[in-house]
Parts: sequence; structure tokens; C-alpha cells
Amino acid sequence: MSNHVSYWALFKNGVFGENPVFRLALSLCPAVAVTSGVKNGFLMGIAVLFVMTMTNVTVSILRNFISPKVRLPSYVFITATWVTVIDQVMAAYQRAVYKEMGLYIMLIVAFAIILSRAEMFASKNKLLPSFIDGVGMGVGFLLALVLLGVFREFLGKGSLWGFPILASKPLLIMIMPTGGFFAMGLIMGGLNWIDRKYFGGTGASSGGH
Amino acid sequence: MKDLLRITLSLVAIFVVAGMIMGITYKHTAPVRFAAEKKEKEEALKEMAPDALDPIKAAGTWSADNKTYEYYAATSNGKPVTYIASTAGKGYSSFIKMLVSLGTDLKIRDVKILGHEETPGLGDQVEDKLFLDQFKGKTLSQVVLVKKDTKENIQAISGATYSSRGVTNGVKDAVQQLIDKYGAGVKRTAQEVRK
Repeated sequence: MSNHVSYWALFKNGVFGENPVFRLALSLCPAVAVTSGVKNGFLMGIAVLFVMTMTNVTVSILRNFISPKVRLPSYVFITATWVTVIDQVMAAYQRAVYKEMGLYIMLIVAFAIILSRAEMFASKNKLLPSFIDGVGMGVGFLLALVLLGVFREFLGKGSLWGFPILASKPLLIMIMPTGGFFAMGLIMGGLNWIDRKYFGGTGASSGGH
Repeated sequence: MKDLLRITLSLVAIFVVAGMIMGITYKHTAPVRFAAEKKEKEEALKEMAPDALDPIKAAGTWSADNKTYEYYAATSNGKPVTYIASTAGKGYSSFIKMLVSLGTDLKIRDVKILGHEETPGLGDQVEDKLFLDQFKGKTLSQVVLVKKDTKENIQAISGATYSSRGVTNGVKDAVQQLIDKYGAGVKRTAQEVRK
């Protein structure tokens, strides 16, 4: 990565250009699993933002030390370390937040998006760009989860962040896993359509899980 | 051979350093965490029996599914006002830990979820007040999980049937246990009152 690329562009790339969920189509399992409500999606997004940034920074620092033949176990172990540290610190000092978020934190070890950013970006770039990439991707993931959460919770439960808005539940299926795939497909399709029509883009790449 | 050594060394170094980081974190956070958990448990017990003026002490232990739980008789000036039992029920992906309180009329007063690792967004809906409030005022025979609208029994949450069943089973075990321990004494008191 040359120095000419501005950090702002790098950040925007994570949020829009290569949004983890809607453009890279990575980590769709957790994206479907936790977005039955806005709050869940938001909390998961925050936790991922932390772990993502920390892992990117660590992998970037150690990029010349990690043996290329065993890089994947190394990355997973680095991620697991940060996840464990955050889990323990929060369990001790942030009880209220931990009660809401504790369920999600351990899941993050296995997120494809974190491993993929370590492999695709942090292992080849210096500290600062890796940090920015981690923050950008984390914010992109967070926004995608909140968007999915708003869509699903509003249609499925008629509420937002737990506060009732509609008297009825228009489409209960939306909060079920099935509805998660529908919501994901519809939003992804909508974003691709906007991208093609107004920005001349080519749509999402093929995805992982 | 040289390559093998390099790979091994690099992995071992990462594992050792990571292990040390985790170990140090645990050493410093664990005491704080355990103290906080103990305090939360005491506060939870107090919440289950707000009318108990005496400090709530464990009256004994009971076990189900090879797990040991505690039960308590919350008293006011020596007279029992509420019976409480800690319990758990197997949900979809974890044991859902709870406190169940029983009035002296042997009807359920309250159910409180202490912790679980159910699916976020689905199973964790058992923490909803709407679901838990169904247990209030029910007798042991009414604690039955059904999948339709009900006032007599407990209605399962759609999309979280296993977790709902876990809570219901845990509550049932605890109520059974409390009635076994305290039910006879209560009946006798009632008879004495009738005399």
C-alpha cells in the first residue's frame, strides 16, 4: 500500500466499498443470528469493532515474525487472545454491559471477517493502515448489523431497540432465521441496485460464511 | 529441518506470550469478577424476597441432573415469608440458571434468570418480563409448557421453544423441591389454623 492512499479512503473502503456483510459477504452466519433486534446487532457490532482493530494491529506488528506456513493458527490464536482478554475485563469491570454482550463475545473468535482482514490486509501492511482498516471494517460491520436489525425488528416485532412502535407484528418471520436470509438478500439486492444505477458499480463479490 | 524449527519456534513463542497475557488478565480480573458475582447473587436473593427482614441464609442443598443447588427460607422476625431455590434447566445450548421463589401458600411468587448461554436474539427472550411473569401465582401442577395462548399454563416463546422448556423444567424442579422441604410444614400450619 503506497503512502498516497489517504487513511480516510481506507476507512471508507471498510464502511462502503468493501462492507464486510453487504459487499464482501463474509461473516453472514453471525450477521443473521444476532440481528433479530437492533440492540443485539449494535452490541455485537461494537464487540467486533474492538476485536477487529486489536487483531489487525497485533498481526501487523508481528507480520515479519509469524511464519507464513502457520499463519492461520497464529491469527486465530491472536484473535482468541484478544477475545478472552476483553471477555474477562468486561466480566470484572463492566457487569451491566457484560450481561448484555457476554453471549456474543466468545463467538467472535470464529468470525471469517476478522481472519480475512488479518490475512488480506494486516499481514501485508504497516501498523497505522492496519489500524485504520480494522476500524473501518469494524464500523462497516456495525452499520450493516444495525441496518439488518432495524429492518428485521421493525417488520418482525413492530419495535425498534425494544421500544414498541407498531401495535402489530407485520411479518413475524423476519425475526426467525429464515427471515434473516430474506432481509439480508433484500438489503444486499437493494444496495447493489443503488450502486449500479447511481455509481456504476458491479455489485457484491461472491461470499464466504 | 531448519524450516521446521523456525515454524515451531514462531508458533510456540506466540502461544506462550498469548497464554501469559491471558493468564495475567485472569489473575487480575478474576477476584473482582467473583466478588461482583457474589454481590449480585445476594442482591438477587434480596429482590426475590423484599419483605424478608432477616438476612437470607442458605438452608441446605439439593441436586438434580448431577448439579447441586441451594435453597433458602427467607424469614421476617423468624417467621418464614418466602421460600427460594436456585435451579437450572437445560435450554437449547446451555443450562439456564434461575432463582425461583415460592410464597407460603406454595404458589410461585417470582422467577429470575441469573445466567445462560442461549442463542442471542432467540433463546435469550426467556429473560423477557412477559414470559417470566406467566409463572407468578401458578401452582406446581400449572407449570406446564404449551404452544398456544393460555392463562392456566405457561406459553412457550415462538422461536425459543427449547429455551422456554428449559426454564419451565427448572422452575418445576425447584418448586417440587421446595414443596418437599417445606410443604408438609405449611399444610400443618394451615390445619392448626383451622382447629
